Amino acid sequence: MNVDQAKRWLLERAGERGVDLEVLATFERKLEIQADDGRVSDLTHATQGGVGLRVVADGRTGYASSEELTEDALAWALDEAIENAALQERAGAALPAGRPLGRHELVGEGLSAGIDAKGAAVTALERAVTGDARVQTMQVARYVEEETEVALGSTQGADGGYRNGYVGLMGVLVMREGESVKQGWDVEIGKEFHALDPGRTAQSMLDKVGRHLGARPLRTGRRRAVLEPDVVATLLGLFGYAISGKSLAEGTSRLAGRLGERIASELVTIVDDATRPDGLGSRPFDAEGAPSQRVVLVDRGVLRSFLHNSETARRTGQATTGHAARSYASTLGVAATNLVLEPGAGIPAGDGVIVTDLMGVHAGANPITGDVSVQAMGLEVVGGERSPVDDFAVSFNLFELLERVEAVGDDLTWFPKGAMIAAPSLALADLSFAGA
Amino acid sequence: MLHPDTATTVLGAARAGGADFAELYAERWRRRLLRTIDGHVEEATSGIQHGVGLRLFFGHDVVYAYTNDLSDASLGELVASLVRLRGSGALDGAASPDAHGAGGLDLRRPGAGGLDPHAPEVAFEAHPKAWRLERLRELDAGARIDPAVHQVQARLLEWEQDVTIVNSEGTWVDDRRVRTRLVAQVIASDGAETQTGFHGPGLSVGLELFDRCPAADVGRRAAEQALVNLRAKKAPAGTMPVVIGNAFGGVIFHEALGHLLETTSVARNASALAGKLGERVASDVVTYVDDGTIAHAWGSSRFDDEAAPTERTVLIRGGILESYMVDRWGALKTGYRPTGSGRRQDYTYAPTSRMRNTFLEPGATPQAALFDGIELGLYAKVMGGGQVRPGSGEYNFAVNEGYLIRDGQVAEPVRGAMLVGKGPDTLRKVEAVAADLETAPGMCGSMSGSIPTEVGQPHVRVSEIVVGGEA
Repeated sequence: MNVDQAKRWLLERAGERGVDLEVLATFERKLEIQADDGRVSDLTHATQGGVGLRVVADGRTGYASSEELTEDALAWALDEAIENAALQERAGAALPAGRPLGRHELVGEGLSAGIDAKGAAVTALERAVTGDARVQTMQVARYVEEETEVALGSTQGADGGYRNGYVGLMGVLVMREGESVKQGWDVEIGKEFHALDPGRTAQSMLDKVGRHLGARPLRTGRRRAVLEPDVVATLLGLFGYAISGKSLAEGTSRLAGRLGERIASELVTIVDDATRPDGLGSRPFDAEGAPSQRVVLVDRGVLRSFLHNSETARRTGQATTGHAARSYASTLGVAATNLVLEPGAGIPAGDGVIVTDLMGVHAGANPITGDVSVQAMGLEVVGGERSPVDDFAVSFNLFELLERVEAVGDDLTWFPKGAMIAAPSLALADLSFAGA
Repeated sequence: MLHPDTATTVLGAARAGGADFAELYAERWRRRLLRTIDGHVEEATSGIQHGVGLRLFFGHDVVYAYTNDLSDASLGELVASLVRLRGSGALDGAASPDAHGAGGLDLRRPGAGGLDPHAPEVAFEAHPKAWRLERLRELDAGARIDPAVHQVQARLLEWEQDVTIVNSEGTWVDDRRVRTRLVAQVIASDGAETQTGFHGPGLSVGLELFDRCPAADVGRRAAEQALVNLRAKKAPAGTMPVVIGNAFGGVIFHEALGHLLETTSVARNASALAGKLGERVASDVVTYVDDGTIAHAWGSSRFDDEAAPTERTVLIRGGILESYMVDRWGALKTGYRPTGSGRRQDYTYAPTSRMRNTFLEPGATPQAALFDGIELGLYAKVMGGGQVRPGSGEYNFAVNEGYLIRDGQVAEPVRGAMLVGKGPDTLRKVEAVAADLETAPGMCGSMSGSIPTEVGQPHVRVSEIVVGGEA
């Protein structure tokens, strides 16, 4: 069976067994081309698909998935989902009322180009990077393209799908100047192959890593800090946990009970907009068929909304915001799409530390408490002069940091960090730096 | 999963298309997850992952393809498309067909019929789902040791992974990896502060995990950690001597040393320890081993994901670098002896050299003596995760449960500490190693995806590390 046939087969069996079923079927195609020593070296070419089942029986929800699309495997998955639902003692769940959702095309001809042109793009990237004498090695120079077809169907009448995709260039490089060695990586993505610019991407990678060469250890102390957009975007990703209706419903959000209250400086406004025409995270409907919307989460420092799917909305007594997210192999969750911290008037010049990179955030940041203590790299500014510093850690609580923002930059920049996240620089009167 | 005729046809077509080496990796993986919050089922899901990866070498170049469609027609198209892509103008020189490759393969099956030292004792079918739920409720009850325990999450993961790996050298390997992990996450709150605790044992076993690691103990340990953090003060910042606890403490060597010894980095001159075989890279108390053969260990398997038998590899003996972790591609590229270290998350990744169960060998210093003479330092009793940039050796990792050391004694708890530094520097600063080796499971993310690895060490003392805390 293909995924579409599997979806229909499952919906019929669910009808026979008297359970409500939602099937999310996805099919992905992926191409990766890697360059080494001025030529194309490695290639990856892939197709992958599967079906994800959400069963509601007697008001109880169970999940299962399969990439194996045989009757045996699908029957196993349906049995498991029903059995998983029966484990729940909490009832009251329901699949959302379905409707025809249409077929949507979000990428068009953007990925269309010959493989030779794609190979030439990545060799151009590698050549431009390794042409810099400070580059010791370019460990990875890669072109990536991915195309995804999503189809949703349910016994409640949901029926629709869309096709999306992106292209990107990414690199990992090691640079050396004297005894100083720095490693870094960067990625640039878009929806149009022809809009990729290997020269620009190479320059951005070289700047990003090269400016840290010759770094000296930073002394321990508290100083004025400017967080660059990349750092702010990483922190917004962490904030995504607290703003998630799933964390709220499960009792692990620090923002529980704070709707309508001030949780951040009035300079801070955070919006998620799944309808942005230019947004790489946009899609016509969410993983359970709810229409996409623009949601103001924090309005001038005041918490206005969480991100919800129908289930987290029901459990918390709030309204769904159309942010259901799910891959066929996962259970229903919540995710941001195009998450933006709105830019401000700009950041006044001054001495302090510009924090450019946070490392190990997956380990050093606790999304439940908001406590962050991570290794960082940056530029120290003394008398207006910038010099690179390393071997230090920053520590703060994310929620306290948001309250202490004293200026917001006008340098809004987009980053692919799971969701698409856009952030400007933020300035803080002081931050704790632990170094030599 | 694969018919021998299909395999020989596909591998033969690859060789006929000019590939120097071809490999099929087929996988069928059943997973279950059960998660409770405060004893109520929050999430119950089951899944089948099923696909095949085809990898071809053309010299040192690697082309890789994967699909869920294991039919003969699909695999035939897959190999044809790889040969075609390889032959396109994007690549350097068209493939040169090898007339010898198209013939049949004489398949050998090393280890077939042999005993699996990691085979589970209690199969997943032995108990119903309701039995599992009872165990998770035991975990929950075990964590309720104080009124400040605010929320208890319990997670049970069950993996049954069957793989078949066949290559153009005629090797055919079937391997079954069964793994179970039980995770407790506790949130403690005293009204003003909220802190978390975590404990998550996992092994290559079936449901006997609950005999080896009683659920109530797992819950209690996570709760104890959360409560310690609740009364902890913020960690101080600065450079100081650090005693690192055993078991998951080994993550420091995993990050600061292990990743730098994978040929994935070494062969591309992207490791701070490339080209240093035979040289002193650590202080003489450091002997570091990666062993994929330990029965039932979380990172063990009979064969790696390239059909090579796993082995015990001494990486560093007495501070001298003896071996890297070498996969097939790494061996080809560097000439180093392969060590059965080719691993991948699943069929969607080509394998690269990775760690299995990696630990620091026990030393001779009594544990208590490690603290002697430290005026002010940090005891990093339980570590969290971390990260490294192998090219520069810069690493960092979180301390989940830490205490200050004052005048040679373990003193008050501190939280929010992060250890940062450069691996090669830190290795030279390892002053003493105790004898209390323990190991702990983790998930390690790198180029070939997220894989189960075990880390381990006895208690060790490092003369100085930058501690990130509150300045």
